[in-house]
Amino acid sequence: MSSVLLEVNSVNKHFGGLHAVKQVSMQIRRGEIVGILGPNGAGKTTLFNMLTNFIPPDNGRIIFNGQSLQGVKPHKIVTLGIARTFQLCRPFVGLSVLENVLVGSLGPRVRHDGLGDRAMQLLKQVGLEAKAHTPSELLSYGDLRRLEIARALAAEPELLLLDEPFAGLGSSEIEAISSLIRQLHAEKQLTILLIEHKLREFMQLVSRVIALDFGEVIAEGSPADIVAHPRVIEAYIGKQTDMAVHHAA
Amino acid sequence: MNGFQQIDKLSGVAGAAALVVLAAAPLAFPGNYLIGVLTVAAIYGIWAVSWDFMSGLTGRENFGHSLFIGVGAYVAGVVNVQMGLGPWWSLPVSMLLAVAFALLLGFPTLRLKGPYFALAMLSAAVIMQRLMLIFWEYTGGEEGIQDIAPLIRNNLHYYWFVLAVLGMTTFILSWMARSRWGLILRAIRGDEATCLAAGIPITTYKIVSLVISAAFAGLGGALYAHYQLQVSPQLFAVVTSVTIITMVYVGGMGTIYGPVGGALLLTLLTEGLRNFGEWRLMIYSLLLIFILFFLPNGFIAPLWKRVRSGMGDKA
Repeated sequence: MSSVLLEVNSVNKHFGGLHAVKQVSMQIRRGEIVGILGPNGAGKTTLFNMLTNFIPPDNGRIIFNGQSLQGVKPHKIVTLGIARTFQLCRPFVGLSVLENVLVGSLGPRVRHDGLGDRAMQLLKQVGLEAKAHTPSELLSYGDLRRLEIARALAAEPELLLLDEPFAGLGSSEIEAISSLIRQLHAEKQLTILLIEHKLREFMQLVSRVIALDFGEVIAEGSPADIVAHPRVIEAYIGKQTDMAVHHAA
Repeated sequence: MNGFQQIDKLSGVAGAAALVVLAAAPLAFPGNYLIGVLTVAAIYGIWAVSWDFMSGLTGRENFGHSLFIGVGAYVAGVVNVQMGLGPWWSLPVSMLLAVAFALLLGFPTLRLKGPYFALAMLSAAVIMQRLMLIFWEYTGGEEGIQDIAPLIRNNLHYYWFVLAVLGMTTFILSWMARSRWGLILRAIRGDEATCLAAGIPITTYKIVSLVISAAFAGLGGALYAHYQLQVSPQLFAVVTSVTIITMVYVGGMGTIYGPVGGALLLTLLTEGLRNFGEWRLMIYSLLLIFILFFLPNGFIAPLWKRVRSGMGDKA
């Protein structure tokens, strides 16, 4: 088995005149936690949508576990072993918390019995077991994040894609979700790819960072390297001249 | 634990008791009038519960349910009168034809988002109604098909038969709605993108649930044809679908048993208000507006849930 789990090769995506993702290439090895960093509009979520074929790329190749994802329908992606969460939590409204997690395991990938017990176990792991029978629409934002993660895990993925898991959360919640992600990574040897722009928590969590700006990879390396990288600083803070222009305007 | 909902004993017992009461009602109050009203109410019950299985669970509202009803009824007419087969053939053939129409319409329309499925089904029903007039040589045009043979000659026995079909339909669909299948349909109502992310082929599930819904609607259509002993293009009318949807709302959408109650309640109400003469429609409409406005989750299902939890507390 190759050590590379996911390989992205020169992938592009245009939306009308906007070149949202430009020639992006990356490799994710098994067992890594990799972060994709970038300001709003850098193409992070588009990249996630292409990894799950919610939006097929214009060209380029995405290879997961040695298999090309070209033409694979979105609902078959999870069967191959890639599960995702959404930036804006999207629970199944009208279903209980337990049922939400249960649906995550109803695809063809999970073949064994005792789905209810497993769903309950996942709820315990993310700290929602007391709310198992609560309607999901009554959950707080932080709990919805936990629910999203539990639902994605119910599909027993090899690669977990987390789209801004800290968005909209307070600092204590961020701490809790952070340690949950760390724990999942340690216990299940899960490969995790996450998008974020909350720098501090993110940098403590990931082993490697890929920085995007205007749809392009501008830097790649350890968290320490990335925060010192001139192009990353430029993308986040802007150049001196940019600031001057802003002041003038 | 498998995590899926079960039909609890109390609800099963209550359902069986309701059936017994309905079956015994004509014995307590004899007369063909009551038998007729109850037979129509039970057939509306079959239509409402079949609508609820697809549209109530997935939230994709089908405004053309009358199409499957009409197809089922016309099959009864054609098979029985024009092809001269025995009346019992109507039941399986009407289900098959309704399924064929569901497949034909479901493939293109269930990929549509937003209100377009509802509009496409509505148009399909209107087109079918026109087709019945255009192909009058086969369908009898405006007059429809007359002299359909009854399935069972005795009115009371036929009513019991229809009631048994209603009971079976409600039981099968309730059981399915609480299985893995029903959970997926409710998840589709919750969020389609998340369903895809969970590996669920949503279009397949929606089409198959429309097929199941159509099969029972067609069966109900055939039962109606063998009760009226004639069919007319009016069966395809949009008002039939709207009446059914109203019954589902009054009963409690997505609960399966609720719409059966809604169908019985509204059919009996329509008949009960006949004494009010010209005021009848106004009283009926005001009651409906009251229920829909103040009880957005319906009337029957929330009432039963309250009764059940009350009984649960005592136990």
